[in-house]
Amino acid sequence: MATNPVPDHVPPEMVRDFSLFTSPGMPPTPNGDPHAAVACVHDGPPIFYSRYNTQDGRGTWVITRAADQRKVLQDAETFSSHRSIFSSILGENWPTIPLELDPPAHGVFRSLLNPLLSPKRVLALEPAVRERAVELIERIAASGTSCDAMKDFAFPFAVSTFLRFLGLPDDRLDTFVGWGKDLLHGDDKERPVAARTIVAFIDELAAMRRQEAVDDFMTFIVQAQVEGRRLTDTQVRGIGVLVFVAGLDTVAAAIGFDLAYLARNLKDQQLLRSEPDRIPLATEELLRAYPPIQLIRVATKDIDFEGAPIRRGDYVSCATMIANRDPAEFECPNTIDLEREDNRHAAFGYGPHRCLGSHLARREIVVGLEEWLARIPAFRIKPGTAPITSGGHVFGIENLILDWS
Amino acid sequence: MRIIVQKAKCQGHARCAAQAPDIFKLDDEGYILPGDIEVAEGEELPASRGARSCPERALELDRTPAARVE
Repeated sequence: MATNPVPDHVPPEMVRDFSLFTSPGMPPTPNGDPHAAVACVHDGPPIFYSRYNTQDGRGTWVITRAADQRKVLQDAETFSSHRSIFSSILGENWPTIPLELDPPAHGVFRSLLNPLLSPKRVLALEPAVRERAVELIERIAASGTSCDAMKDFAFPFAVSTFLRFLGLPDDRLDTFVGWGKDLLHGDDKERPVAARTIVAFIDELAAMRRQEAVDDFMTFIVQAQVEGRRLTDTQVRGIGVLVFVAGLDTVAAAIGFDLAYLARNLKDQQLLRSEPDRIPLATEELLRAYPPIQLIRVATKDIDFEGAPIRRGDYVSCATMIANRDPAEFECPNTIDLEREDNRHAAFGYGPHRCLGSHLARREIVVGLEEWLARIPAFRIKPGTAPITSGGHVFGIENLILDWS
Repeated sequence: MRIIVQKAKCQGHARCAAQAPDIFKLDDEGYILPGDIEVAEGEELPASRGARSCPERALELDRTPAARVE
């Protein structure tokens, strides 16, 4: 695996044997804690080079300090996010939008989409989100004293919330989750197949909405105008693919890690159950402790950044889970303190590409925890079972068998 | 007390408005409205909490006497 040559401009002493894909705790691990496992980088230098640190096996600089990640992510001119992360799987080169556009084009599309996921809009979506959570949890509570919280709750809750936002029916939920799994966690054969399937699906959906308008997201996109012009097919596809993929995995993973934490920490679980007003603040701490995403940028020019000779074309990794365990930013970063104040975590990134869905994601986690704790009594990991966790491009938790017998 | 708003740094995290919605007003996209914010007496605590919650460091507290007199 870690056989990439080190580029000539990278001083050998800046190379570290670390990878979000291959380091200890990153491959699928029973009872793993991949977020705690990566926190060990803070024992070393603030910036180093990893020879194998992307899904397609490339080397990256690794920015460990929150303050430095803020600098990188706020400076989209020097650190571009255009790397065709999705289309390159297909051997193509078109950007997902707005993520892989740089300013000023980025701002135009961002302004188009921001109102759809603003705090105000999310407030209006909340009743439906809550209804879905209650429906799923009541079904679980009625059917016994144990469940797989990923399969029975986190995935169907997060994905159906999202499908509803997109205007898609729930009945293909399992199919969509399968595509997401293959795309984000699959091997070199599965990923292109999944990518092609998703593109075909989005293209077809766009064509349908062009023919017949419905009150949904895709209709909005195909009818939208930017600078006086309708969007091109590639732009519609770029938006559709990004929004579709972004909602498949991340919130479910976050809820899974959060419930796993609460299952192992009964005191905290009981505190939130008896005082649910604490859940929004606790959610911020859980977002700090268990964010699923690594952000990658490409240097657009040569720059000496905090002692690192970054050269044009180099990849720069800003892993949110690393920034969130930075001792220079957070007191006792490896202690999970559900009452932590002043918690300016990096779970949704920094800079112009701040997660567009952050307000919805946050509400989903808060609502999910509120309704779960209101309906499920003291739960723990079912003895004899082990949640399997993994690192990688998107950190994940495959299974979470909870028991409250 | 006054809060200096660096509008260009705002990326719409909306943490300030979550802390103190009456002090930190957002536009339809969810980004802070331009212009510094004069904090009314008695609202210093939620205002400073809101300012400190910004992940981008776009909000700065100004406690200089001049700011207080204004």
